[in-house]
Amino acid sequence: MTNGWVDIKNTDLMLIMGGNPAENHPCGFKWAIEAKRTRNAKMIVVDPRFTRTASVADYFCQIRAGADIAFLGGMIRYAIDNNYYAKEYLLNYTNAAFIVKEGFKLPDEDGVFSGFDAGKQSYDKSSWNYAAGDASGKPMHGAVAGTAAASLPERPAHDFTLQHPNCVFQLLRKHYSRYTPEMVERITGVPKEQFAKIAEVFTSIRKDGDMKKVATVIYAVGWTQHTFGTQIIRTAAMLQLLLGNVGRAGGGVNALRGHSNIQGATDMAGIFDNLPGYLKVPTPADSSFEGWMKRITPKPSKPGNWDSFNYYGNTPKFAVSLLKAFYGDAATKQNGWAYDYLPKVDRNYSWVELWDNMYNGIVKGLISFGMNGVAIGPNSKKNIDALKKADWLVVGEIYPDETSEFWRSPGITQEEMKQIQTTVYRLPCAGFAEKDGSFTNSARWLQWKNAALPPPGSARLDQDILAQIFLKLRELYKKESGKFPDPILNLAWTYTLPANPSLAEVLKEINGKALAELADPATKQEIKKGQQLPGFAWLKDDGTTSCGNWIDSGCYTEAGNQTARRDPSDPSGLGIHQAWAWSWPANRRVLYNRASCDVAGKPWDASRKQVWWSEATQKWVGNDVPDFKADSNPKDHMGPFIMNPEGVGRLFGPLAAFADGPFPEFYEPIESPVENALHPKQTNSPVITRFSTPDDKYAKASDGYDIICTTYRLTEHYHYWTKNNPMNVQLIPEPFIEIPVELADKLGIRGAEKIKISSVRGSYIAKAFVTKRIKPMTIDGKKVYQIGLPIHQGYRGVAEDEGKNARTLANLLSPTVYDPNSYTPEFKGFLVKVEKV
Amino acid sequence: MSQAALRIQKISGHAGSIPGEDTQRQFTVCKLVDTTTCIGCKACEVACMEWNDLPFGETVFDNSYQTMPETRWNYWNLILFNEHEREDGNMMLLMRKDQCMHCAEPGCLEACPADGAIVQYTNGVVDFQQDKCIGCGYCITGCPFNIPKLNKETKRVYKCTLCSDRVSEGLEPACIKACPTGCLHFGSKDDMKLLAEQRAKQLREHSNYPDAGVYDPAGVGGTGVIYVLHDAKNPELYGGLPANPRVPRSVRLWKGPLKWLGNVAMIGGVLGLAVHYLRYGPKESEEERHPGGTP
Amino acid sequence: MKHEQVLPPGNVLRYTLNERITHWVAAGSYIYLLLTGLAFWSPWLFWLAMILGGGQISRLLHPWAGLIFFLSVAYMYKLWASQMGMTPNDKAWMDSVGHYIRNEDSQMPPAGRYNTGQKFLFWGFFWCAIALLLTGVVLWVPNWIPWSLRSLRYIAVILHPIAALLTIALFLIHIYMGVFAERGAFSAMIRGYVPAAFIRRFHPGWYEEIVGNSPSPRK
Repeated sequence: MTNGWVDIKNTDLMLIMGGNPAENHPCGFKWAIEAKRTRNAKMIVVDPRFTRTASVADYFCQIRAGADIAFLGGMIRYAIDNNYYAKEYLLNYTNAAFIVKEGFKLPDEDGVFSGFDAGKQSYDKSSWNYAAGDASGKPMHGAVAGTAAASLPERPAHDFTLQHPNCVFQLLRKHYSRYTPEMVERITGVPKEQFAKIAEVFTSIRKDGDMKKVATVIYAVGWTQHTFGTQIIRTAAMLQLLLGNVGRAGGGVNALRGHSNIQGATDMAGIFDNLPGYLKVPTPADSSFEGWMKRITPKPSKPGNWDSFNYYGNTPKFAVSLLKAFYGDAATKQNGWAYDYLPKVDRNYSWVELWDNMYNGIVKGLISFGMNGVAIGPNSKKNIDALKKADWLVVGEIYPDETSEFWRSPGITQEEMKQIQTTVYRLPCAGFAEKDGSFTNSARWLQWKNAALPPPGSARLDQDILAQIFLKLRELYKKESGKFPDPILNLAWTYTLPANPSLAEVLKEINGKALAELADPATKQEIKKGQQLPGFAWLKDDGTTSCGNWIDSGCYTEAGNQTARRDPSDPSGLGIHQAWAWSWPANRRVLYNRASCDVAGKPWDASRKQVWWSEATQKWVGNDVPDFKADSNPKDHMGPFIMNPEGVGRLFGPLAAFADGPFPEFYEPIESPVENALHPKQTNSPVITRFSTPDDKYAKASDGYDIICTTYRLTEHYHYWTKNNPMNVQLIPEPFIEIPVELADKLGIRGAEKIKISSVRGSYIAKAFVTKRIKPMTIDGKKVYQIGLPIHQGYRGVAEDEGKNARTLANLLSPTVYDPNSYTPEFKGFLVKVEKV
Repeated sequence: MSQAALRIQKISGHAGSIPGEDTQRQFTVCKLVDTTTCIGCKACEVACMEWNDLPFGETVFDNSYQTMPETRWNYWNLILFNEHEREDGNMMLLMRKDQCMHCAEPGCLEACPADGAIVQYTNGVVDFQQDKCIGCGYCITGCPFNIPKLNKETKRVYKCTLCSDRVSEGLEPACIKACPTGCLHFGSKDDMKLLAEQRAKQLREHSNYPDAGVYDPAGVGGTGVIYVLHDAKNPELYGGLPANPRVPRSVRLWKGPLKWLGNVAMIGGVLGLAVHYLRYGPKESEEERHPGGTP
Repeated sequence: MKHEQVLPPGNVLRYTLNERITHWVAAGSYIYLLLTGLAFWSPWLFWLAMILGGGQISRLLHPWAGLIFFLSVAYMYKLWASQMGMTPNDKAWMDSVGHYIRNEDSQMPPAGRYNTGQKFLFWGFFWCAIALLLTGVVLWVPNWIPWSLRSLRYIAVILHPIAALLTIALFLIHIYMGVFAERGAFSAMIRGYVPAAFIRRFHPGWYEEIVGNSPSPRK
């Protein structure tokens, strides 16, 4: 979330799309209700199903699963055409005025941007860049000295009249000019009148450029779980930039994370291509620490008379401190901070690829903690087949789950079971209430929790298991050596109880400490060697600080564990709650909050004052912690989006920012009942990977798979483990599939009768939930049905063990394919057929 | 809201005698259920089960998110889900938390023959005393809301107690405590009524619900659970919430005129026969009447 | 009866053992039903339930007693229905019922084995028993009646006491007649036989029948 849960109460208008917070985030959803109740805020819900969130919405609009970019792109067009955008914000806080290089081409003709290599199925992104500007900002032609092709120009050309045909704003207008209400209707199935109504309600908050009102966008995995998920979110972010809603109380682009600590997992390098704090991993091409730093440390790129904080310019400080936290004294300036110890990521190790590798015999074993791999899919059968081929599997869980008992999957015969040679080790782990530690919520708050009770029986804490595996491994390396034992032998392991590290110690390590006496000449503040750091501003690239994750620095200071704070006071009434837990970065609650003020530093809306420029103190001050260089005078025109080298929000994502285009373009899901109405010859995203194992099949509507299936979660269950809890099982005892009344009538299916849905990969049997809440749609002139599939059941659980449920996994149906930016699989919107059992 | 807790003992910043000292401020308690902000998360269902330590029961999926068709002896709080299409084509998923309404004039209590099995506290809570319940089930018939449910094994009837154990200690009922959206409120009837009317007014003025209103049916003297409905003109849409609930006429007739009439008839009959005996005596045979005579 | 009962001379068998047992089963169950029913009828009489083992046991046994009562009434129907048919004589009897009330029996048309009042009693109890059974079943298991059929409960809850009140009226008259008004009637239901004089006195029609058709005072 750019903002936070509580902040939603400040909004005037909500667009909830690709998410169902009433069901999946009921506690946080109170703030949406609060906004409705106290501010008469309006709520728009756009979803393939009329959900429980929709039941409290002011406007509901049923959309085809996966058509979100068309819908949001249509909104961008609508806002521009009707002059519903924030002009001052757009000019000063976004790259709207930046001029894009000659040679950049939009996908309006053939569905691909410039630089596409059909053979490699990837883009040469050098044309996705700004033109370098001269002193007056006009584009210079030809090669510019000192500007490497792979980096942004130091002085991008710009045109503050926004008239230059190649300026971002004009390109944006041109790109989305194709997304007419008629086109939106053809793609999304939303009648153009209804679309116009929703677009009017949402974008008209910027009617006549009035900046007072604020709208927020709230989404969840309904957006991420597509082959173009990142681009959906980007379209929303661009719409919010256009409307001037980012950085403001009650605004922003807000991801609702699907688990209690998924934000924390992501922050701590949950994805293979980054290190803690979103530092980009080194690749084999980065031959030295310096080389790596040179590649990943951006340089400012801004119009000449502007300033740019370019906070990622501090990357070497973050990286050195991280390596000091990893390797302690073994990381020295001489050995490039033990850079050689860091694994170099040579290829894609994303989740789907790992299972594919295991299927193909490359990955031999799996340690699985806190997840149910075969159930969370996609394409469960492939994952089960992959585990059959593995040598070993270690599962740390609180229940016997589908992964640790993959060999019991329905369809595997006794004879086949005997053939499976995988050794399975099951480690009983502690449940969430049996562990302490911090959860990082969607609002980026790190909240400390205490253990409620000790783990039962022989169950152990995760960190104990991992520590003991590590210590054993180190012992073996010590004894037997190996190819390159140094990273393991020299890993810093300074916990009081090495075999049982306390999570408080780990959090202190993440926060970072001084390794030498430090002093800030400006404030005369001094920090003694060994003391906890007050925040990431203190990090150094000379080896005098260590920090496990720069964004979390400040969470555990000399003043104690900041994440354990529980002071609910909120003097401003804006839901900032500065002394409740701790929010990264630097305890600020709304990111980019400099953008809540006009160029002069005065809040756009006096009733929602977050931060402002104080002439008296010549500082940025406020109710929230300013997300800005505190002493940067507005006259210097520093951009509010300090993490971008441009200092401004990106309507155009230059260079390698995205794998699939600098502007989001609508592509069909990998399995779609229709061709892409924008460019039928380029239906799907051109850069997605299809897998080729026998378990990987992709269907076409012409094969008879013509019903769109979208998976989802129910409020009554939590993923795959509450089926072990009788209370949850009582609430929703059995699997079901939501199907429209019209489809049920056509197939002669009545409510609660058993039906079978099949994709080209597998089938799933459950009772039919015949509902009026999903309507048939007309997509590009074709009648299309959508159905909804809750994911919760499997073959282990209270009802499953009693033999009551069908025991199949929902993800037997979903395809192995993923977003090229985030590597998230496409669970939403694949094709199935439906039949009566 | 413990009654004892609300007696005024001291008062701050006040000279002279304490106004209301030692008097008891009595008010009826009330739950407000705002169906327009209910998201059907069932937290209230779970909280009810947990607080009251109710045993699990088996359920079956029946074409709805609804946990079970109606409340059970061991399931006192149930959200009813109803799909409804408005005339303008807009879809609605109506969700109403169903539980004992704690009527001011409770039909269950009126119908109950067992001494002290159903009580109504001064705070308005209607509570069943299972130790005194005889399991006749007349309360089931007396209730216009289909709430009391019989446990076949114990032969006792159970229902929502409005968490009288919590309320008497000054706590809110468990369902209220668990509600994440603030759709549930708890307080005095007057306060809840005011809050409900304000919310209904807001809905009428600021949203697409011109018929929004408060459900506090007069037929049972008002209820200790009141609803804000999007469409107060059609409460039946919300899982058969009766538009004009009242204690069934036959129960009223039985407990009123019939009882009076029956008592008079029974006492009158016995007296009448006694008088008859005194006046006419037994039917004696001729011999008895005229000893020695012949027929 | 297979074995003929030896009667004292001058007596006539009015009720077989079978009939007497049936009567007393009905009477016993009825009295239990009456007492427990009255306990449920009025809080002023709830103490009756306490005497009878408490409210819960009373509630538990009342329906079973009702079932026994109904079965005994049903058996009575089998035994006596053929003799309970209304005849033109009954019409005349009813027309002069005032004399009967005033104990001016000599001015009454001769009654048969059962006089018209007894026939009314029989049919009254018979129909009330049916009504009580039907409504009683609904009240026995109110939880089995689905909400959509709740009107059944509403009907039952009012018809059951009405029918019960009617039986109470009949019951009071029956007790009065059998115990107080007609000397010998009570012992008839105990011993089974009555003196011929009793028949001549109260059931002259039947007496004619017996004397006319058989020399023996037996049936």
